Amino acid sequence: MQPTQDALVFIVDDDAGVREALAWLLRSRRLPSESFDSADEFVSFLNRNPNTAWTPNQPGCLLLDVRMPGLSGLALFEQLIERQLLDVLPVIFLTGHADVPTAVDAVKRGAFDFCEKPFSDNALVDRIEQALLRSAQTQAALKSKKTLQQNLSELTERERDVMRLVVEGLPNKLIADQLDISVRTVEVHRARVFDKMAVKSAVELANLMRRD
Amino acid sequence: MLVTLILSMFSVLLWLAGRYEASQVQTRLDRDASDATSDIRAALTRNAQTLQALQFAAADAPPWRQQASTVLRDHRELMRLEWRDSQLKTIQSVDTPYRAPVFKNFDRGVLQPEVAQACSIAKRQSSPAYSNSSYIPQSDGMGLEIMDVCLPVINDGQVTGYTLASYALNEILINQISPALLRSREISFTEADGTRLAVNGMQHRGSRLFTGVQLLDLPGHTMVLRVDSWRAAPDVFPNVLTALVMAMAMALVTVLIMLARDMRRRQQVELDLADALAFRKAMEDSLVTGLRARDNQGMITYVNPAFCEMVGFESKELLGHSMPAPYWPPEMIDEYGKRQALRLAGNLSSREGMESVFMRKNGERFAVLIFEAPLINAAGAQTGWMSAILDISEQRRVEEMSRASQERLQATARLATVGEMASLLSHELNQPLAAISSYATGSLNLLQDLGLHDKHLAQSLSSAIERIAQQAERAGKVIKSVHDFVRRRDQARESVSPKTLLDNVMPLVSLQARKLGVRVEVQCPADLPQVLCDRTMVEQVLLNLARNGMQAMNEDTPRKVLTLAVRRAASNATSRWLEFSVTDVGSGIDAQIAEKLFTPFFTTKSEGMGLGLSLCRTVVEQHGGLLSHTAHTPRGTVFSFTLPQS
Repeated sequence: MQPTQDALVFIVDDDAGVREALAWLLRSRRLPSESFDSADEFVSFLNRNPNTAWTPNQPGCLLLDVRMPGLSGLALFEQLIERQLLDVLPVIFLTGHADVPTAVDAVKRGAFDFCEKPFSDNALVDRIEQALLRSAQTQAALKSKKTLQQNLSELTERERDVMRLVVEGLPNKLIADQLDISVRTVEVHRARVFDKMAVKSAVELANLMRRD
Repeated sequence: MLVTLILSMFSVLLWLAGRYEASQVQTRLDRDASDATSDIRAALTRNAQTLQALQFAAADAPPWRQQASTVLRDHRELMRLEWRDSQLKTIQSVDTPYRAPVFKNFDRGVLQPEVAQACSIAKRQSSPAYSNSSYIPQSDGMGLEIMDVCLPVINDGQVTGYTLASYALNEILINQISPALLRSREISFTEADGTRLAVNGMQHRGSRLFTGVQLLDLPGHTMVLRVDSWRAAPDVFPNVLTALVMAMAMALVTVLIMLARDMRRRQQVELDLADALAFRKAMEDSLVTGLRARDNQGMITYVNPAFCEMVGFESKELLGHSMPAPYWPPEMIDEYGKRQALRLAGNLSSREGMESVFMRKNGERFAVLIFEAPLINAAGAQTGWMSAILDISEQRRVEEMSRASQERLQATARLATVGEMASLLSHELNQPLAAISSYATGSLNLLQDLGLHDKHLAQSLSSAIERIAQQAERAGKVIKSVHDFVRRRDQARESVSPKTLLDNVMPLVSLQARKLGVRVEVQCPADLPQVLCDRTMVEQVLLNLARNGMQAMNEDTPRKVLTLAVRRAASNATSRWLEFSVTDVGSGIDAQIAEKLFTPFFTTKSEGMGLGLSLCRTVVEQHGGLLSHTAHTPRGTVFSFTLPQS
């Protein structure tokens, strides 16, 4: 699974034994992880971001214990929702039996999954990998969207007009008529748009714009 | 007014009595005067006859003189007898032997005109006639008023001479008036103009003079007989009768006044008594405590309305009813009878209340609390017993209900505690089990990657590690099954209004609040929606938080108030929430303690298990809510939790 190569798993649990065991398990599956013994610590880690240990550019996943002293897992989850980080950082809840209803509710509200302790470990790791994949995909999408935005911002007013008509599928002649410029000028603009948007054909350009 | 009336009456009476007495005196005086007059007249007439007899013997001189002396000796009032001829020449004369001759120093001839006039009258009428009286001075310095009487001597129809007799007026008064008449009187002869001629009697001086006047009409001369009487006239108490009447009147008046005063006082007392009675009656009627009085034989002598209402009998059905009383349950009669006997013997002191069971008219039994006190009458003797009776059946019922509700909540609390312990145990055990399982799986993963040459060793190692994982999983399942068993009721969710939740815990909260002196305030808007929850467990949470809050307010808390409040909480798209909060104004929570607040088995109370808050959090989180606490300004703590709306 290529997208998980540079991924990072965050473990937030107050029980050192569980943290270490999970880290050991993930390492056995070649997944790097980072442990936090409380939700507060993870929040302060997030606040230190984005440019140090973890950036949203890197796929990630959060293993979160529901019940902890101080800031509870659920409260941290609410913060993540507020920061709109759930897509780039999928959350898998680790729960005891008692917290299952809470976890179910959390999943309804956007958590990736929950896993009851003691867990079937490889199944858990599989879910982690799926979460990392989702994270990677989301980030890639974000990245391309960002690129597109950047490319679009580089276009001039006239080039944007030309592009809009090209995407609509109009031939150069009609574009020239509509914009009241010469066909030659249209061709120059069109070549520049293709160049700036990093596409080779009008079809490719149309796909790119439709996804937006 | 009355006094004035009585005084004037008394004066009138006095005046009347005085007047009556005066008139009596006057009448008697008049009568006496009249008697005296007739006495005198009779005496004079008698004297005239005696003198007449003297005339008939006038044939020879010596016998006349002898007879005349005899007459003078017999009649002291006569001063002198003269025999005169028809020409009024004195033939013979004799003076009274009792005093010196009256005319010794006086010329008898001076009186000749008066004598002549009297004699001419006598001659004309052929009967004695009297002359006017004349004052004749005497040798002893005193004078005598002398009146002459002339009797004609008639022989053969011819007046041949006259017999003249001289009366001393005062001697007439002395000799011819009976002494009885003279007592305390003065009798006098006066002329018509009031000139006193002769006086006999005492010279009294008194405050009042009564005068009886009688005309003494003699032929030829008229005089007035005057009787004067002096009275110490009318005194304030003129006589015994008046005094008696007076005394009686005074006694009557006094009695009347006293009676009036007494009446007024009695009226006042009666009024006061009526007031006191009305007050007492109102008091008895307004009592909710039943009152019953019994005499020493156990007969009911008094019941108040509250007692009648309590037992359902009319007061007339109860009054006069002896033992066994109609409100005694039949099965208790023996016991009550014994108790009554004991009380009558004086062996039962019951200033403190005594619990008993009475029966209403409809047969319903109810518990009462009886206070007995002896009834002491005005003489200080005990006449019976007064009992105050309180109907405690309602109190009993409330106690019973509160106890039942408390028991139910306590049972739930025990169950919840067991559940919480199971939950904690499972959590605490699951952690190491999860670690074991993770290590096992990780080890297996590594083992496969390692690719050991010795296939057999690899096989047995991996199977052993797999078993470790399996056993850990099995232990987890056992814990889960225990937990599920205890938490079977987790699914019992229902829609309950927040008010119902608060109302259910209020009895127990108030009970403890009263004990700790805490005022409980409830803020629960009526328009709140219902919440979806396991109601018994949520009640436990409220109860736990309320109890913690009250215990957090220790003795030096100024005004102990515990506030239970419900409000709508911030909601997101998927669910709506209600926030319950329990606010105390106690000592607050230290940061150190706050850190460990939800840790199981952590407690600040000597007898606490340290599961209360942990349980609360579990319950709240099971409902998907959050339990949190913040400091309350100016002091104290707010615990709040959220529950989903249904």
